[in-house]
Formats: sequence, C-alpha cells, structure tokens
Amino acid sequence: MKHIDEAALRLTVNARWTTACLAALGAIMATAQSASAQTAFTLPAPPFELPMLPSPSGNWTVMVGIGGEYTPDFVGSKNGKFLPIPIFTIRRAGSIDQFRGPRDSASIALLDVGNFRAGPAFKYVSSRKSSKYAELTGLGDVKAAYELGGFVEYYPVDWLRLRSELRQGFDGHTGTVADVSADVIVPLIQRLTISAGPRFTWKSTKATAPYFGVDAAQALASGLPMYNARGGAHSVGFGSQISYRINPQWEVHAYVEYEKLLGDAADSPLVKLRGSSNQTTVGLGASYSFDFRIR
Amino acid sequence: MRRRVILGLACAIASVVLGAAAAFETRATKLQAIKTVGIVSAIGEEMSLTRAGLTGLGNTAQSTSISAWGLDELIVQQATKLLSGRFRVQPVTYRRAAFAAIRDSAVAPVNLLRSDPFKELVRTDVAPQGLDAYIVITRAKSKLGNGRNVEGVGLAQYRTLLADYGLIHALYEVRVIEGKSFDVIEKRAAAPLDNTGTMRLAGPSGQIDETFEGPASSERLRAAIADLITRSLPVTLGDMHLIDGQ
Repeated sequence: MKHIDEAALRLTVNARWTTACLAALGAIMATAQSASAQTAFTLPAPPFELPMLPSPSGNWTVMVGIGGEYTPDFVGSKNGKFLPIPIFTIRRAGSIDQFRGPRDSASIALLDVGNFRAGPAFKYVSSRKSSKYAELTGLGDVKAAYELGGFVEYYPVDWLRLRSELRQGFDGHTGTVADVSADVIVPLIQRLTISAGPRFTWKSTKATAPYFGVDAAQALASGLPMYNARGGAHSVGFGSQISYRINPQWEVHAYVEYEKLLGDAADSPLVKLRGSSNQTTVGLGASYSFDFRIR
Repeated sequence: MRRRVILGLACAIASVVLGAAAAFETRATKLQAIKTVGIVSAIGEEMSLTRAGLTGLGNTAQSTSISAWGLDELIVQQATKLLSGRFRVQPVTYRRAAFAAIRDSAVAPVNLLRSDPFKELVRTDVAPQGLDAYIVITRAKSKLGNGRNVEGVGLAQYRTLLADYGLIHALYEVRVIEGKSFDVIEKRAAAPLDNTGTMRLAGPSGQIDETFEGPASSERLRAAIADLITRSLPVTLGDMHLIDGQ
C-alpha cells in the first residue's frame, strides 16, 4: 500500500487525479457485488474446433439493428434515394467498438500501437445503371467496382482522429482513390458522443472518367456535350455524427455527410446540366446488443 | 468437368472438417491427460494510471509498483483452489519480472506466426520441470476510448465534456502450456464480468461512480482489484474447460 501512496505523491501532475480516483472506490464495492454475467442464452461447445484458431468458448456479443440512409441516386445526382441498411456484428464480449466514420471503408487494423493503426481497406462501389435514372440516359452502364488498398489512422490526442485511405479500383473503374479525413470526437457524457470534421478525396483519371466523362457515342445518345474527365481533387466536404447509448443494449446514431464535388467531376456536363455538385447523405439507425455464451 | 470440381470441393471440405475434428480431439485429449500442473502468475507487479477521452497533448500512461499488494500470490492461491478438484497443483518458482516483461507485437500477424514467447520462458525459467502442464497467467490488453491501450491492473479515468468517469481493471490472459512439448494447448483472455456498463473494456473491470476521499483508499483499491480477479478467475478457467460447473 505504501508504494502506491508514495507514487501518487511523486506524480505531481497526476496527483490530484490519482488521489481522486484512489479515493473514489466506495461505490465500486457496491456495484461490483451486484454485477453478474448476463447472457441471453448458452450454446453447447461445438463438436470440433478449427486448428490454429482460438476456442469459441466464452461470451460473445451480437449487435443487430436497422438503419436508413438518404443518399444521392448516383455521385453527381441532384436527386436522392432512401436505402435501408441492416446492422449486424458479432464479436467477443468486451471487444471495444472503435470510432468509425460513415465514409470509412471496411478495414482491419493489422498494426495497432494504441494511437496509430494501419491495415488493409476495402470498399465496394455499386454499379451505375443508365436505365435506372433519366439523367443517365445514353451514358451507358458502369459496372460495380471493388477498391482494395490500405488505411492509416492516427490519434494525436484521444479526441482527434486523422485517417487516410489509398485504394486501387478493379472492374467498374481501375483508378486510384485517396481519402483524407479528420474527426474531432467529443464525448459529451459517457453515453453521448458527437464527432465532426472535414473530408477530402482525390481520384485519378481512371477513377473519374467512367463516372463523369462523356465520349462521342454517349454524347450522341445522351444529348450532353463530349467531356474528357481527368483526375485530381475530387471533392471536399464535412461530416458529423452523433451516437447515444440508451443503455448497454440499445444504441441510436445519426450522421450527415456533405460533399462538394471539385475539378473535372464538378465541371462534368452530367453534373452541371443534369445534377448537382452538392452531395448530401443523411443516415440514422438503431441497434440492440445482447450477449450469448458458448460453453 | 463440373462433377470433378464439385467432388474436389467436397473432398476439401471433408478434409477440413475431419482435420478440425481431429484437432479438437487432440486439444481435449491433451487436457484430459493432464494430471499435475504448476501455476505462474505475473500481472500484479505494476498498476497503470491512464487518462483517456478529452485529454491534452503529451498524455502518456504512467505506472506505479503494487508488488506489495501480493496480487500474484492471490491469483496463484485462488487458481490452486479452483483447479485442485481436477488436477494436482504443485508449487513452482519462476522469475516473475521475466514473464511480466513479455509484450505482444503491435503487428497482429506477427503474434499469429511467431512462436509463443511464453513457451520458451516456461522451458527455461520455471522449476520444477516435468509437470504435465503449466498454467501461465499474464497481462492482457484492451482499448480504452479510441486511441489508447490499457493492460494488466490499472486505474483509468475517462474524461468527457460534462463528467469524468473512473475505472479499475484487471486484464489478464491464461495459457495452458504442455509440460513436455511446451505447446500452448489453450489460451484465453478473461472476459468482462458483465454487460451492464456503458464504458466497456475487453476484460474484468469496474466503474467508479462516486468520488470521495479517505485515508484507506489504497486498501479499498486493492480489495476492488482482488474482487475483479476472484470473480473472473472461475469464469475464465471454466471457459477453458479446466474446471467443471461453469
């Protein structure tokens, strides 16, 4: 006991905080006694386990929910559509939900030293069918694209996230995309967090042309002037989200992302004559978490 | 051609399933064959002091010695009591600091690909050798907030705009290391004790929800950490199928 008392005195900067924390233990004794594992159900142990992988025995957390997103029909469109978004995750109980921005690609942090994370990233870009929207008539279809790359994320302080992604497209487009974003993450109280920050996207010519270029045949078919869309600064924007954990089970969240198209994307006749360079996405959702146990 | 592909796929799936079943049998068989165990614990020498949430620049975690608390002795005592029903637990000697010094690599695949560093330490550092297995209890890690890791025993403060929250934690993982081949038969991090809190860590933790000052705060802290360990150890060992009735 003497060690910690002496150490608390030595750490002058932290002295008050340490003392306060050390002193704030009365309630623990009360809450700790009442806490007990709460699991919805228990499953028997699986009849086999996969080699090299840890045993699945123990507590798991499942999150299910539903969300919705009002987003432009296609990038550059002035009209929007509503998309339902299912929410489902399963993870070891206690695994922490890291902050995630609505525009983040799916990613895995293979390198994680606390305030710096890096790893592969993947994004699916859905196809653009010209038959679905009148503005696209004559422009031809763009197949779905798969963007593979990596991300780096750095927290200079716990409440500021700087993130960058670099991805290479396949199939629908074969260009390079770079996203840079910053998010100030402010926990107002333990259950309520708001975040906001700027975004910037750069795209190469091969990533821009399929969506914003108009070739001779398309010009003839669509009535739009021919346009050679080149790469460069693609968009700048701002995003914000809010999440509120009603209780350990229920959580609700909402977000808004605004994007202003730049450069050749903004100057494309598709955007100038039939669409808009202002792109706004609004989303909200609710999720329910429960634990189950595998023996 | 298609028939051959389907047949090939079916064979591959069957091989994986049979291989997996065989692996499970091996693990279960290995656990069943264990009669004598020694227990190593190395989580209780230091306590971290961490601040997360709305903090300033240069906010680094600090630590202080708590070796006088005898947490590792408590863990060995508790684990011995829990495991004695199934195994013959023998006392072992080891350099606790050597076990406490080992850290996971920050590059996740490295931890999967490299040989478990505790295997070699058990081989060279634990006496007596020749027991059927060694139960090794060491520090585990968790995220706190977004950009901060905490590990082992510690005290953390999470700052928000309108309020501050205090947490204590005892994050540890348990390995069962075979006493002849020194293979890791089973490895498991202790899970959280409950899902009632909104501030969660990936292991046993408790929230401090009231502030008061008193002369016996260190004793209460020690008691609270010991309580986390005492309540989580049976669950963890039960999850690892080392004790019955969990």
